[in-house]
Amino acid sequence: MAKRVREEEIFPRNPNKTYGLMEIVKGSSPRVDRGPDDMVSSWPHLLIREAILFAACFVIVLALALWAPPPLEKPADPTKPPNPAKAPWYFLGLQELVSYDAFWGGLGIPGIVIIGLMFIPYLDRHHSGIGRWFAKSRSTACWAFTLIFVVPSIILIIIGTYFRGPNWGFYPPWNMPVEPPIILHSIFGGMGL
Amino acid sequence: MSVQTQKPSDLTPRQEPAISPLQKLNRAIYRQAPEVFDSIKLLPYNVYKSIYRTTAFPKTERERSEAFFNSFLLHIQPAKIEKHALRFTYTFGLGLLSTYLFLLLTLTGILLMFFYVPATDQAYFRMLDLRSSVSFGGIMRGLHFWSANAMIGAVFFHMCRVFYTGAYKPPRELNWVVGVILFVLTLVMGFTGYLLPWDQLAFWAITVGANIAGKADYISTSLTGLGLPDLHFGLFTKNMLLGGDVVGQEALLRFYVLHVALLPVILFSLIVWHFWLIRKTGGISSPKESPE
Repeated sequence: MAKRVREEEIFPRNPNKTYGLMEIVKGSSPRVDRGPDDMVSSWPHLLIREAILFAACFVIVLALALWAPPPLEKPADPTKPPNPAKAPWYFLGLQELVSYDAFWGGLGIPGIVIIGLMFIPYLDRHHSGIGRWFAKSRSTACWAFTLIFVVPSIILIIIGTYFRGPNWGFYPPWNMPVEPPIILHSIFGGMGL
Repeated sequence: MSVQTQKPSDLTPRQEPAISPLQKLNRAIYRQAPEVFDSIKLLPYNVYKSIYRTTAFPKTERERSEAFFNSFLLHIQPAKIEKHALRFTYTFGLGLLSTYLFLLLTLTGILLMFFYVPATDQAYFRMLDLRSSVSFGGIMRGLHFWSANAMIGAVFFHMCRVFYTGAYKPPRELNWVVGVILFVLTLVMGFTGYLLPWDQLAFWAITVGANIAGKADYISTSLTGLGLPDLHFGLFTKNMLLGGDVVGQEALLRFYVLHVALLPVILFSLIVWHFWLIRKTGGISSPKESPE
């Protein structure tokens, strides 16, 4: 490190002038008409993060593909319905709702939820708490979204996936009947095939 | 690196020494297009420069900006970005993660299409082939399967992130709506792909799913109370989806076409719109937009 020199020694103050050199900053470009901001170049700051994210994403998916190969059951057989027949996991919340009421569970409530989601930004327009997680001024909105949408979606999927057994009966996962008898009239969780 | 041309003098003809045809050609090129030699010398550099129009390792601010806005792939992103937007704990990279998974799905999906036949008597055996006789077939299907499941999670949590950070507020209303549509389409993509292995899991899951669609009959049945004829909305939707009353060959073909052609095109277009809207509404949300 070079010895720090006083500014006056390089740029002596001129008492006849109302302005003077304030500071020397290191940089590769001059800043004109702009106050201090928190901007950085996307190269390399954004690019390196994106590259790391892709690498991590690919490694994790590849590891899963190698050590947890996707399931493949016996060939499709329309004469041998499993009990219970389950939808893909992301629709098991829907199937759980369907077991209570066919139309409202399967279409009515999900339809209202999707339309409702789309209307959120047209109803909640106040510019507060943008850019912060769980801003205090938005606690009502955050709680409403969590309790009406996030938690029910996840809980219904968990119930449908782990707690529903033969004839869409409720069983704890550690006490799930293994080879249940097939009773043809109620295998679809009350949906009626 | 210009090369000076020497014009042959017409005034004083002199005896040319005997030269080989190759040298003749050489001289002809040299006289008519002297820069060809330079071009050959600079060929690798010029090819590189035509593709990548900026220096490989930009150093100044200007070069760094140029690296972004001169690049086709990078220009969709801003050349300068707020430090806040780079914090991993702000976005958890969920939106980009969804995009990456979509790209991985497109790539592995195209590879899988080379080995798949959407026929009820072949589909399942093609699945067995992927595991046993196709090189890296198991890994391809594994990547596709796990990317698909991960993408549904990533899109869901991305939506939660956007809500909890208030990033849907004006002027980003439309982008939120496009995002909700993308979320629904992601689920539909998963659903249509679920049938393709044609195993017991696939067959009965789609049977259950199609029956849920059939419940729309409730609407048309309720409307008969207003004096309208019963149009059987649910039955119509289910038949349109399955191409029949039950899951069979027509359903497999329809799900295949939806899964590999129609839905990916719609999804890709909406993703492009989603990105464009991010830029046009001032980039990623920031606490600076809030009055607090």
